[in-house]
Amino acid sequence: MPPPRFDFDHVPVTFTAYFAEQLRTWNLLFPAEQSYFERLGAYLEKAPPALFAPLAELEPRMGVTPRSWPPGRFSLEQVDFLNRNPLYPEWRRLISAIFNVINPALDAAAKGRTRLVLVIAPADLPVGPDRMWTRLSGRRLALKPPEDQAHYLPLLLTGRPTPNLADSLPDLCSAARGPHSAWTVEATESLLACSRQATRLSYDHLLPYRQRLMAEVGKIAEKGEVRGPRQLGEKLKTLQPRDAEYAADPLMAEFIRATLLAGNGTLLVNNTFVEWASVQAIRRAKPSCIAVGFGIRNKVKPFSSLLIFADQDKATAIPTQADMLGSYVDLEVFYQYIWQEANKYVEYRSNTTYLFVAEGMDELMLVAPPDFAVPPGPITLEAVHHACRDWLAV
Amino acid sequence: MLTRDFLKLAGLSIAQRIIPPALLNLWAQAADAQAKGRKVILVTFGGGVRTEETFSPAGLRNIPRLAALRPEGYFYQNCVNEGVLSHFNSTGSIVTGNWQRVDDFGFEAPASATIFEQYRKARKAGPLDAWVIATNKSFAAMGASSQRGFGLPLGANVVLPKQLLLDAVNDIVRKPQASDVADRDAVHRRLETILQEGYEGVGWTIFKGGRQMDQHVRQTLTRALGSFINGPEAPTSGDELTFFITREVMREFSPSLLLVNFWDMDVAHWGSYSLYLQAVTRTDRLTGMLWDEVNENSKYKDNTTVLILPELGRDGDSNTANGFLNHRSGDPSCRNTWLLALGAGVTKGATETPIRHIDVAATAAAMLKFKPEGMVGVPVREILV
Repeated sequence: MPPPRFDFDHVPVTFTAYFAEQLRTWNLLFPAEQSYFERLGAYLEKAPPALFAPLAELEPRMGVTPRSWPPGRFSLEQVDFLNRNPLYPEWRRLISAIFNVINPALDAAAKGRTRLVLVIAPADLPVGPDRMWTRLSGRRLALKPPEDQAHYLPLLLTGRPTPNLADSLPDLCSAARGPHSAWTVEATESLLACSRQATRLSYDHLLPYRQRLMAEVGKIAEKGEVRGPRQLGEKLKTLQPRDAEYAADPLMAEFIRATLLAGNGTLLVNNTFVEWASVQAIRRAKPSCIAVGFGIRNKVKPFSSLLIFADQDKATAIPTQADMLGSYVDLEVFYQYIWQEANKYVEYRSNTTYLFVAEGMDELMLVAPPDFAVPPGPITLEAVHHACRDWLAV
Repeated sequence: MLTRDFLKLAGLSIAQRIIPPALLNLWAQAADAQAKGRKVILVTFGGGVRTEETFSPAGLRNIPRLAALRPEGYFYQNCVNEGVLSHFNSTGSIVTGNWQRVDDFGFEAPASATIFEQYRKARKAGPLDAWVIATNKSFAAMGASSQRGFGLPLGANVVLPKQLLLDAVNDIVRKPQASDVADRDAVHRRLETILQEGYEGVGWTIFKGGRQMDQHVRQTLTRALGSFINGPEAPTSGDELTFFITREVMREFSPSLLLVNFWDMDVAHWGSYSLYLQAVTRTDRLTGMLWDEVNENSKYKDNTTVLILPELGRDGDSNTANGFLNHRSGDPSCRNTWLLALGAGVTKGATETPIRHIDVAATAAAMLKFKPEGMVGVPVREILV
């Protein structure tokens, strides 16, 4: 589908550059993003010039010229230009001020439907429910966990002890609300069995692709060819996943590549991948249902851990050990970040139920609007599953 | 005018009237000798740390040594980084007294003269009197600027311990059949070999003072490696090695001006809050050990001022791309850091009045009794006694 065309010559170039870049890669945008940029473009066409007057006045003082900012271009050069510019803080302030005017107008047109965010902690974290979700304000509900822990996730997601895909929450949501409306993002491969139609990402499942990227990044870093993460990302733009599941879907292939090369630990640490992929999914695809499954991070090994892109299993004879306490500390922050990210967007505010659960634990944390109904007393996972289906109306 | 300043001026005025000029000259010489002995150590919490994890009420548990030392020194609650929020430019601004806007990853030298060059030029100090010991391996160019009239001949010695360690571990991992990387002796042997092969290969700049001095430098660094490798903890940290090398350099060369850049806490980019907190606590411990060395080393005791500050903060939890993982947002959590001054000439106290990162070099220059050229930063008065 070709990108829409807009006329916004009256808008300062540093504002429109990013927008123009998004239009150029239109087919690599999720439907929710396309909808946003269509609304933004329509707004900008009619926006009063006064809205941009302070920015238009600032740009020449920053040294913005047609040469340093060719219209419609937004590359690393422009990013560096902004970062190093003495007036960058003022530029950021003006951009925020403009969006403070634009966003309410765009938000009014956004659809508000019920949504569900499920955040699943691994078993084996060394704390009880009283210390699991200390950064969140919600209701702790008593739960009757299954005797066999292997049944926990299938019960929660499909309502049965063994996965029953006909009742899979992500699949039902995907069928009802369209492509990329339901996601599973996880460290291990547990959620893969509970869904087939949703957009599914697994850190473990991506192992061959991650190893290929690590080897390439390691080689490039060793040669000293690139200066930083952004340049690295540019250099590795062509290194897409080969996995059959993603190769046929350029949008997801690019999403995965960008997530793993974001310049942070997504390539190195399972839970960082899960958090960042989830945050990106929420920011970009605005899924109606997302199940986020964290895992246990490994301990850092002496000496060999300095070689961050080396395969740690091959680099040293020291066996890999799980870091339970460290994982617990990491995840406390990540629960907050995921909840917070969703709350930034009008699509999620006031109509989203958040369920924070831990495999095997006899409590969960519920952050939900008052009309999310759960039965009283210790509840079963089947009951939670049905409450979620009712909430999503699927 | 402060009472203390008034009394100083009054005392000087009276002294000129009642004390013979010859005696006044002697005093001036003594004061000058004392100034020559004055030393300044800049310690950066490189990589970036938020006030939230350090000097906030909840953060104090992560920095027990600095928390205990704070009442002994002067604490600036708001030390602001108004510059580019990359590591090289942030530390470059601290050591030059001017906001640096050069390459973010150390491919260019600072554009204006560093405190090391200014000090060596003004005080005619020798090449072993100014050192940069940095865990951040992209700091090879931190010791000298590209400013005309200054540059490498007046720069600091630059030692990048982590690069040395990386090279040694990399060599061993490439030849796993020879030895395992977990073997401390193997790593030690490889580290020594790299040192013997020459510093330049690991990006260091050492001003060699002839064969004998070069041998002296090598022996000093080799001793530091021994302390590191055989230390009580499993060596996972570049900062530990930075500390041991710093300590040996202090013991052997007692430089008057030293930048120690700890950097482990940049592990925050990996997205592990627990590893980040561990690194913060390790930096606190190593900074405390450095302070202990200052007080136990006769060449430093009572004549050394230590200025400790983060090179930058990190993004706040609430309003940015991914909270503590990054440090580019420019929000207050990222820009507003702190500075703790300890040691010679520092009175006890604290202030909320903001100072800037670029004021640090100007303050160090004032402590070392020379007037720097072209610094935008100004000395902070509270710790200039």
